[in-house]
Amino acid sequence: MAQLVGPLRKELADSLSSCRVLVVGAGGIGCELLKNLVLTGFKNIEVIDLDTIDVSNLNRQFLFQKKHVGKSKAQVAKESVLRFCPSANITAYHDSIMNPDYNVEFFRNFQLVMNALDNRAARNHVNRMCLAADIPLIESGTAGYLGQVTVIKKGQTECYECQPKPTQKTFPGCTIRNTPSEPIHCIVWAKYLFNQLFGEEDADQEVSPDTADPEVAWNPADAAARATASNKDGDIKRVSTKEWARSTGYDPVKLFNKVQLFKDDIMYLLTMDKLWKKRKAPLPLDWTEIHQLESSQEEAFGTGLKDQQVLGVQGYAQLFHRSVETLRSQLIEKGEGAELVWDKDDPPAMDFVTAAANLRMNVFSMNMKSRFDVKSMAGNIIPAIATTNAVIAGLIVLEALKTLNSDFDQCRTVNLQCCSFHVGVIGLVQILTLAVFAFDCLRNVFPVIGPSVQVSMKTTSVSNNNKFLSDFGIRNGSRLQADDFLQDYTLLVNLIHSEELEKDVEFEVVGDAPDKAPVSSVPEEGKNIANGNKDSAQPSTSSKAAAEDDDVLIVDSDEEPSSSTMETSLESSNRKRKHHDADTDDAASKRKRLDQQPADDDEDIIALD
Amino acid sequence: LALALSRPRGEDNIISEEEAAQYDRQIRLWGLDAQKRLRGSRVLLVGLRGLGAEVAKNLILAGVKGLTLLDHEQVTEESRRAQFLIPVDADGQNQAQASLERAQLLNPMVEVKVDTDAVESKPDDFFFQFDAVCLTRCSKDLMVRVDQLCASRNIKVFCGDVYGYHGYMFSDLGQEHHYVEEKPKVVKGSNEANDGPEAKKGKVDPNETTMVKKTISFCSLKEALEVDWTNEKAKSSLKRTPADYFLLQVLLKFRTDKGRDPQPDSFAEDSQLFLQIRDDVLETMGLSSELLPNTFVSYCFSEMAPVCAVVGGVLGQELVKALSQRDAPHRNFFFFDGLKGSGVVDYFGSK
Repeated sequence: MAQLVGPLRKELADSLSSCRVLVVGAGGIGCELLKNLVLTGFKNIEVIDLDTIDVSNLNRQFLFQKKHVGKSKAQVAKESVLRFCPSANITAYHDSIMNPDYNVEFFRNFQLVMNALDNRAARNHVNRMCLAADIPLIESGTAGYLGQVTVIKKGQTECYECQPKPTQKTFPGCTIRNTPSEPIHCIVWAKYLFNQLFGEEDADQEVSPDTADPEVAWNPADAAARATASNKDGDIKRVSTKEWARSTGYDPVKLFNKVQLFKDDIMYLLTMDKLWKKRKAPLPLDWTEIHQLESSQEEAFGTGLKDQQVLGVQGYAQLFHRSVETLRSQLIEKGEGAELVWDKDDPPAMDFVTAAANLRMNVFSMNMKSRFDVKSMAGNIIPAIATTNAVIAGLIVLEALKTLNSDFDQCRTVNLQCCSFHVGVIGLVQILTLAVFAFDCLRNVFPVIGPSVQVSMKTTSVSNNNKFLSDFGIRNGSRLQADDFLQDYTLLVNLIHSEELEKDVEFEVVGDAPDKAPVSSVPEEGKNIANGNKDSAQPSTSSKAAAEDDDVLIVDSDEEPSSSTMETSLESSNRKRKHHDADTDDAASKRKRLDQQPADDDEDIIALD
Repeated sequence: LALALSRPRGEDNIISEEEAAQYDRQIRLWGLDAQKRLRGSRVLLVGLRGLGAEVAKNLILAGVKGLTLLDHEQVTEESRRAQFLIPVDADGQNQAQASLERAQLLNPMVEVKVDTDAVESKPDDFFFQFDAVCLTRCSKDLMVRVDQLCASRNIKVFCGDVYGYHGYMFSDLGQEHHYVEEKPKVVKGSNEANDGPEAKKGKVDPNETTMVKKTISFCSLKEALEVDWTNEKAKSSLKRTPADYFLLQVLLKFRTDKGRDPQPDSFAEDSQLFLQIRDDVLETMGLSSELLPNTFVSYCFSEMAPVCAVVGGVLGQELVKALSQRDAPHRNFFFFDGLKGSGVVDYFGSK
C-alpha cells in the first residue's frame, strides 16, 4: 500500500523536498507559481525578476500590497511566501536573467526551470540556456482569459524557438505619414512625433509627409524622380523636426499649425492629389479657427472613468498645448542635449500622445478615442486577471511533477527534433574572424567547402576573411543559420560570448552534432577532420570541391536588450580547437584549394528575402 | 421579450481613482460596467481550506463589495499547510478567523467578514443577504438545501471541492440567467459622395464592438446528482461521461457516512471504505464498478495545491461572470483531473 504525505505518494514528496528549481519572473504567473510550489512541497526555490511593483499589478500579483509599490518584486515575493511557509528555502534576485552572471553553470544547479515571463527576448534567452545546460524548462504565458503551458526538454521535445513566432505588427511608413485609416496609425504617428520633438530622433520615425510614397505619383517614373529629388533636397533644405521645434521655442501653437499637426503639413499632403482620389481627404485644423468656434458641449462626465471620456477638438487642442508646455519644462530641467523617453505612465507624455493622435484622427475623419483607449494601444497594455494566472500556474506545477518523474510522454508537447545545435563558446567575438569561424569552427559539424556569407543582404566572401564576427554585428546571444546548398539541412547556431576560454582556445562547441549528415557526393578521403565531435567523422572534402556543398550563413539579429555586458563563460564538454599544426595538412591543403576557387562562388548563394 | 439586466448593485455609481488604478488591467478586459456590478456584490464562501482560500483570493482581488468567510472548523497542521492565508502560529484557532487578516490585506477595498458557525445551523434567511454563495466541503444534503432556497431568489449558487488530484465545480444560476457577450461590430461601407470604394466596406471593425444580450437556464443540484442511469438514453451517453462525475458521487457519500473526507492518517482504512462505497453507489445507480478503477483511491486524499489553484481559478472566474452578468457561464459542471491535466465542462440534469 502506498504511503502518503498529504496528497502525495511518499517517494514524490521526498524528491520534491530535495530538488532545486528556478522561477524566472515574479509577476502575474510568478506569484501564483511560487505559492503553488511551496504548498506542493518544493523546498528549494530561486526566483529572479528585474522589475519593481506597480499599483496596476495589485489586481493579480497577490503577494504584493499597496505599501510595496516601488520595491523589488522578487524580494517582496520571497518575503510574502516565507510568511506562510517559513521553512521554504528561497533565494531572490532583483536582476535580469539575461545578465551573463547567470551562465550555463548557474542553470545547471537546478533540476527544473520555470518561466513566468512577459517578453520574447528573455524567453529565447532562457530557452537557449536551458538547452545548453540540458535542464528541463516549463514555458508558459497568459493574456486576458487565455493561457498556455509547454514543457521543453532537449532531445525529447521541441524547444521554444523551433516554431517561428509571429512578430509584432508594423505599418508602412506612408500609411503613418500620409494616409492613416485607423486610430492605431495616428497613435503610432503621435509616438513618433514625441520622439522627433522630445526624445531620441530616429530616421525610421519620420512624421512629415512622405513624397516618396509610391501612391503619390501618377506614374512610376514620377515617383522615382520625386524620391531622388526629396533625398537631395533633404540634405540641404530640410531641417530636422526637433531643430525646427527648438527654433520656435517649442511654441505649441506653431507646432500645432505646422508639423502635420494639423495644418501646414496637411495642406502639403492635400497637394498630393492622387492619394485622395479614392480616400476621404484630410481636413486641416487651424489653431485660431478652432478656438473661435463655439465650444462644443463636452460629453458629460457620466458614469465612466475620467479617462474614458472622449473630448472634442478644442479639448484635445488644449491638452496638446498643456502637454507640450510641460514636456518643454521637463526638457529644460534635464539640461543641454537632454532627451525624454516616452512612458505610458508619465502623464504629460501620455497626454501628448492622446492629444496629438486624436487631433490627427480628427483631421482624417476618424472617430476620436478616449485617453483610456489610446493608452491601451500606445502602451501595448495586455489586460490581465488573477484567475487565468492561477489556473496556468496550477498547470505548471502539475507539469513540473510529471517532468521530475521524467514522464515526458505525458507532457503536453510534441516530440520533434529540436532546431538548435549550439556552438557554445565563441571566445571574444571581437577577435574571432569570420574565416576561422567558418572554416574551423563549423567544420566540426559540417564540411564547409566554399562557404559564403550573407550579412544583411550583402554577400561577403569568407576566404581569408579577417574581419571579426563582431564587425558584422554578431554578438553574445546571436543566432546564425547555416543551410546547405540543397536546403536539405538547416543548422541553427547559438553564439555565446566568453572571455574565459583557455589559452589558445578560440572556441568550443557545446552540444551534440545533428544526426543527419549533410549530403555529399564525394567519397571519404584523407584525414578525419572532426574536432572531437561525438559523432562519427564527417566526410572530408575532396579535390572535386563539389559546388553543392556550399553553405550560406545568415546573420539573424535578435532583439537583445541594450544592457548586456559581453561575458558568459560556459563549461562545455571539453572540445578544444586543435592548433593549426596539429590539424596539419588537411586544413592547410583545404584552405589552399579554396583560395583557388573562383570568386564566382558567390553565384551559388541562395537569395534571402 | 424584455430581458432585464439587473441594475448595478453599487451604492454609488462612481469608480474612485484608487479603484481605477488598481483594477485597470481587469477593467480593460471585462469593462467598467462589469467591474461596477462586482463592486456591488456580496458573496458567502463556506469552507476555508485549500480550495476555499483560492476562491477567497480570486474574489477579493476581483473587487467584490463584501466576502463572508464561513467555517466552523479549527486549524490543524494539515489544514494550515494546505493554504496560504493562515499564519504559522494559528493552530487551534478557527479556520475562517485565522484567514481573515491576510485575506483582508489582499484588497482593503473589499469588506471581508468572518462567521464561525457551522453552515448547517444557519437559518434560511441567513443566505438571502448574499448575491452568490459558494459551498466547499459541504455535505450533499446541505448543498441541495441551500441550492433550493437560493435559486428561486436569483441568488447564484456554486459548489466545489478538491479531493487529492481531482476537483469539481457545479453552478446553478437559476431558471433565467441574463448576461451579455461582447462581439465585434460589422462595419458597413458608407455612401458619401466624396468617398470612393472604401477598403473597409463590410469588414469587421476590430475597434468597435457591440454587446449581445443572452439568457440561459440551469437545473438544480438535486436534479444534477439524481440522473437516472438506468434508461437507454443515459446508458448510451455513458461512454462520453467523465468518470469524475461518479467519483464525486462516491466522495459525497463518504463525506455523509463518515462526516469527513478521506484522510492520509487513516489511509489504509479509508481506502477500503472508499472502494466499498464505490461499489455501493455504482450498484445503486445500476452501473458497473469498473467505471471507477481501484487506482483512483490513492489519488483522492487531502488537497493538491495546484489542483486547488486550477479549480479555484475556474470557480472564481465563474463567480465573476455570474455576478457581472458578462460572458457565457460554464453549464453546469467543471471536472478537473490533475493526473491527466484535463478539464471538462459537462451538463448533468434535465435538458
